[in-house]
Amino acid sequence: MDHRPVSAVSILAVIVMLPFAPLAAQNAPTAGDPTDARAWQQPLTPWGDPDFQGVWRYEATIPLERPPRYEGRAFLTDEEVAEIARVEEELAANRLAGLDGAAVGRQSLEDSPIRGNEYNAFWQDHGRARQVYRQTSLIVDPADGKLPYTDDAREAAARSTARYGVGPYESYLDPDTGERCLTDGVTAMMWQGPNGGHNRIVQSPGYVTIVHEEYLDRRIIPVDGRPHGGIPQWLGESVGHWEGETLVVETTNFPDKTNYEWASIWTRTSDALHLVERFQRVGPNAMEYTITVEDPKTFTRPWTAAVPITRLADNTQIYEYACHEGNYALKNMLSAGRATAENE
Amino acid sequence: MRTDLVIGLAVIGQVLATLPVSAHHAFAAEFDANQPVKLEGTVARMEWISPHSWLHLDVAKPDGSVERWMIEGGPPNALFRRGITQESLPVGTEIIVEGFRARDGSFRANGRDITFADGSRPFVGSFSSGSP
Repeated sequence: MDHRPVSAVSILAVIVMLPFAPLAAQNAPTAGDPTDARAWQQPLTPWGDPDFQGVWRYEATIPLERPPRYEGRAFLTDEEVAEIARVEEELAANRLAGLDGAAVGRQSLEDSPIRGNEYNAFWQDHGRARQVYRQTSLIVDPADGKLPYTDDAREAAARSTARYGVGPYESYLDPDTGERCLTDGVTAMMWQGPNGGHNRIVQSPGYVTIVHEEYLDRRIIPVDGRPHGGIPQWLGESVGHWEGETLVVETTNFPDKTNYEWASIWTRTSDALHLVERFQRVGPNAMEYTITVEDPKTFTRPWTAAVPITRLADNTQIYEYACHEGNYALKNMLSAGRATAENE
Repeated sequence: MRTDLVIGLAVIGQVLATLPVSAHHAFAAEFDANQPVKLEGTVARMEWISPHSWLHLDVAKPDGSVERWMIEGGPPNALFRRGITQESLPVGTEIIVEGFRARDGSFRANGRDITFADGSRPFVGSFSSGSP
């Protein structure tokens, strides 16, 4: 925790990062990798496992699905990378200067007083420009960079989007799992979260533990060769093993929660959900993380996201997230729903 | 120029499309975009609770009565990472809050903008490696 006064600011330069190693062969970096991976060796824990300990966070600009304007290509051009980096730097500087609205990349209040304008920039400031990579989508398989929804799941996604903020909110069951302080699920845990998605990895002999700040989600992952058990849980049941310096985690035993509201349908769990994650450090502060999501109840085929994740400074802490304690929003949403119904 | 503008707009589009989840819940479920409010008052209390901080504001009415408003703010963990502490908005501070009133008509609003009586804004600027 840094306690310098908030006026003592400095703008961190935009970092143009290497794409992922599997992708790197196709794309030379446009700037040096600040992690200096060439001189770096994977550290080991005292008991000999690769050491991943620290607080990690997704810091990049890559969208999950490929935007239409990048259709047909997996990577940005040099010109696009430079322009996105320039804009990111400008937006960060504008936030630091106290500007708002379009100057920090938002729609005008007239266009949308709600979406993206709920709070002034100071409430949500990243504190620095985001990192720019060449990938045009986190999804690297299928090749079109899109979620391969089943027809039913696509309909559920459209319904979820349509009811966002609108309801109906007649019961505490109507808000989504995050609004109910339950969880946002495992699928995006390494790169999303209401506070920005901080994850602390802690290791001990035979275990890797991931503490996710939001919802106090934590995953205690045995890496001692034991098989999966049989107890369905919201976060599934994870078993890991080492493949060289890569941590491979397989997660299954999710309960069927497809009838719950999820903020993002692609993060929902069914009893057929099966996740395979690969964690590979590529520098002192850089990790290549991939997740392959298989669930025939939501997707027509498995899909894989490749996500660059950054290790934050050693003094970064994970803070308490006593979500139920302060979740006035749940009561307020229900009372708002009743007031709306009475006025109709 | 035209090319720059097109690229610039596309980039802004990407920025908007890829902003992380910016709030724990859907704004419109709780607040009414058609009821903007501007409240001038003094800080009565700041609740540092997840998933959102809540600022309690005493607003004096022309008839001498006082309304106690509750203002929803950003997540406390995110604020704390930027060096904002319980001392940043002490009780008694005069501020102006602009936001949108709760849909149920109660004395609650979200705190989109906060301005001190002298026109300056708190919390401008940020730093540290752990911010959201």
